[in-house]
Amino acid sequence: MLPENAVNIKIRIKFSKTGSLKFISHLDLQRTMQSSFLRSKLPIYYSEGFNPHPKVVFSPPLSVGVSSLTEFVDVKMLADVAPAEIMEKLNASFPKGLCALECYTPTAKFTDIKWGLYEVKFELTGEIPEDICQKAQAALTAEEIIIEKFTKKGEPKRVNIAEGMRFESAALEGSVLTVTAKLSCDDASFVNPKYIGETLTCAMPEVFTGAEEETCRMAVYLADGETLFK
Amino acid sequence: MKIPESILKKVEKPGRYTGGEWGEVIKNPENVDIRFAFCFPDTYEIGMSNLGIRILYSILNDREDTWCERAYAPWADMEEQMRAHGIPLCTLESGTPLSECDFVGFSLQYELCYTNMLNMMNLAGIELESKNRKNDDPIIVCGGPCTYNSEPVADFVDICLIGEGEAELPELMDIYKKHKKMGFDRAAFLREVSKQESMYVPSLYDVEYNGDGTIRSFTPKYDDVPAKVRKRIVKDMDTAPFPKNLVMPFIQTVQDRIVLEVYRGCIRGCRFCQAGLVYRPVREKTPEVLNEQAKILADATGYSEITLSSLSISDYSCIEKLTDELLPWTNERKISLQLPSLRVDSFTKELMDKISTIRTGGITFAPEAGTQRLRDVINKNVEKADLLRACRVAFEGGKTQVKLYFMQGLPTETDEDLDGINELAQSVIDEFYATPGRAKKSPQVTLSAACFIPKPFTPFQWEKQFDMEELLRKQKYLTGKITNRKIRYNYHDAKVSRIEAIFARGDRKLSAALLEAAKRGMRLDGWEEFFDYDKWMEVFEYCGIDPAFYANREFGEDEILPWDNIDIGVTKEFLLRERHKAYGEKTTPNCRLQCSGCGANKLGGERTCCPKMQ
Ligand code: SF4
Repeated sequence: MLPENAVNIKIRIKFSKTGSLKFISHLDLQRTMQSSFLRSKLPIYYSEGFNPHPKVVFSPPLSVGVSSLTEFVDVKMLADVAPAEIMEKLNASFPKGLCALECYTPTAKFTDIKWGLYEVKFELTGEIPEDICQKAQAALTAEEIIIEKFTKKGEPKRVNIAEGMRFESAALEGSVLTVTAKLSCDDASFVNPKYIGETLTCAMPEVFTGAEEETCRMAVYLADGETLFK
Repeated sequence: MKIPESILKKVEKPGRYTGGEWGEVIKNPENVDIRFAFCFPDTYEIGMSNLGIRILYSILNDREDTWCERAYAPWADMEEQMRAHGIPLCTLESGTPLSECDFVGFSLQYELCYTNMLNMMNLAGIELESKNRKNDDPIIVCGGPCTYNSEPVADFVDICLIGEGEAELPELMDIYKKHKKMGFDRAAFLREVSKQESMYVPSLYDVEYNGDGTIRSFTPKYDDVPAKVRKRIVKDMDTAPFPKNLVMPFIQTVQDRIVLEVYRGCIRGCRFCQAGLVYRPVREKTPEVLNEQAKILADATGYSEITLSSLSISDYSCIEKLTDELLPWTNERKISLQLPSLRVDSFTKELMDKISTIRTGGITFAPEAGTQRLRDVINKNVEKADLLRACRVAFEGGKTQVKLYFMQGLPTETDEDLDGINELAQSVIDEFYATPGRAKKSPQVTLSAACFIPKPFTPFQWEKQFDMEELLRKQKYLTGKITNRKIRYNYHDAKVSRIEAIFARGDRKLSAALLEAAKRGMRLDGWEEFFDYDKWMEVFEYCGIDPAFYANREFGEDEILPWDNIDIGVTKEFLLRERHKAYGEKTTPNCRLQCSGCGANKLGGERTCCPKMQ
């Protein structure tokens, strides 16, 4: 419990997770954050108990291997610290690959995040058809996009993810095809960004099989899919 | 080269291989003279848990002329990928192949990692045997507790640093730099190194054997190479180099906390314990310095836990003062303090109150043997009454769990001593119920039993390990004796202990077995999922090596031991004296009560309890 009359300021930190950091799990990200906070010596509130931890809440976890320009963590501060100072101290104690981008008093809840904008870059090695962008668009905007998921029991299950996939763009530069799409982050209809690659491989196996892909979460949105989450 | 992302995506825990952690040191290769790859021959999580190594990393990098980077043993899935794609083992920081470094250093902490060392060299494309390496190949240097008897790896390493690396590594770098300037000649360099205090170059010695396999002679190849290599120590622990910064692991490691070394050495002389003797003499740090260092580490790491480390923390002469200095600021910063390795005779209410303000859970003691007779044999000066008193303090403080460490298969052990283990556990349970104000829960005593391994530089170095059959019988016997469900009994795998015993007292002939094991792709022997006793037996058979010669044979007191050319300070005469006292069931007082003339005082040292040498 917080002491009575204590200053208790909720701060949201928006940060990016790139480079080596994309290969660490959500749990290890929490550990890395925790030690960074302690190094920063910011007056962050710690839970009581035998093993005190900074009281923090994270936005929904990313898959290992996916980078992000738009992650959030909420902390409680026991003193009023200017945002510029928070940013400076955090960035001085973050490993490279973590970068605090903004901090402010939060209004929206993390559960309000319903859509994520992802960018997937495919490094294509084989012959590339001229109309690849159109074909990719066609595959990702089809009325039915069937994906094989596994149930908790490990049984395969065919699911239509078309509802949770909003294609945005496809562009080819050299041998790199960049696809962007908004995907549902809602619990019920969550679409993993790896399904973009799986759908394309299914539609054009000769082009996409074995292609390296690099995925990044660019932004997150509220339920309308247009208003940026803050 | 850095591991490509496509591969990182395919393996478990890719954070092991990326580098880029907080505190890693990046330098411009153009601006340094020496590239040093500091390797830990086990996985990243184990290697990054070792604070000593992270400290040496900083010490080397504090030199402007040296860039020290890290490498760890890849897990099997990554090894498979590396081999399939022809990716050599590289440093984490810059992705430089180990084969392009000037030095490749290995910290040898336990015998079972020898195969990992060879596998890492193999993955890096480095010739395993030192005689095959050319002028431009990296120098393989090793340190750590195993180097006190490094003979099993003698064919593979160029230099063994005997003793404490803080002092040795910088000196080695200086010599190397000098030679590099002169136009580097490997043989000339190694020859000069061999003349330095504490630097052992195995290739510069000839070993001859008797018909029965024991050593007939051990002689330097040249007159200017010393016959004996003496261990080096840090004389003053207060002024020993200490880092301002530490690398912080990305992924959860075994020791995710600050481990603050309070003193080195041990005033006790348990007769099975190698660490207690090879780190002699005891050298303490002052509480003021420790307090400063704890603050530095807390700032640098952001860890929320500090463990005070040493072989027996309650033997630290200023323990009260130290905890008094630490507690105010650690409490304020919500950093918890831990005191492991408590002795029962020093476990007081005051001490427990200090730690239990922050720490809950059980309490651990190490009586090591079940009867007073056997505890006298091993010189573990602990009485049953002390143990029960300590447990009562813990129970009064609300604890319900006690963990007791034992060793099975100790010299002179009989079934009566095994019964004693069970009886001791039973007495602890009885003590719990007899404690007024105990918790209203049921108690739990966990017995954790290791198999005795005769170790070099201990009074028991001549003893045999009981054979497999007998080790297993002992485990079965005790299992049958324990009927109380509140007593849990865990024991180590006897097969693992036997392989450890073989290499612990091994000589150079074992290099052939290691080479063969490496050829057969054996590695990760410290891991249950890979350790394969039968494969080891096949290797020994193939190489014509009798494992019992090393593990199950009583070594002769007048025999030349494989490690006789190393001088750790403590003399062979003292060890022999202690051995004979063990058989007479006579104990030896600890160094604070009385000096027993072990010989370690000739090494000097500040804040020791040794008499000064004349
Ligand atoms: S010289 Fe004496 S006091 Fe010093 S370590 Fe040896 S026995 Fe102990």
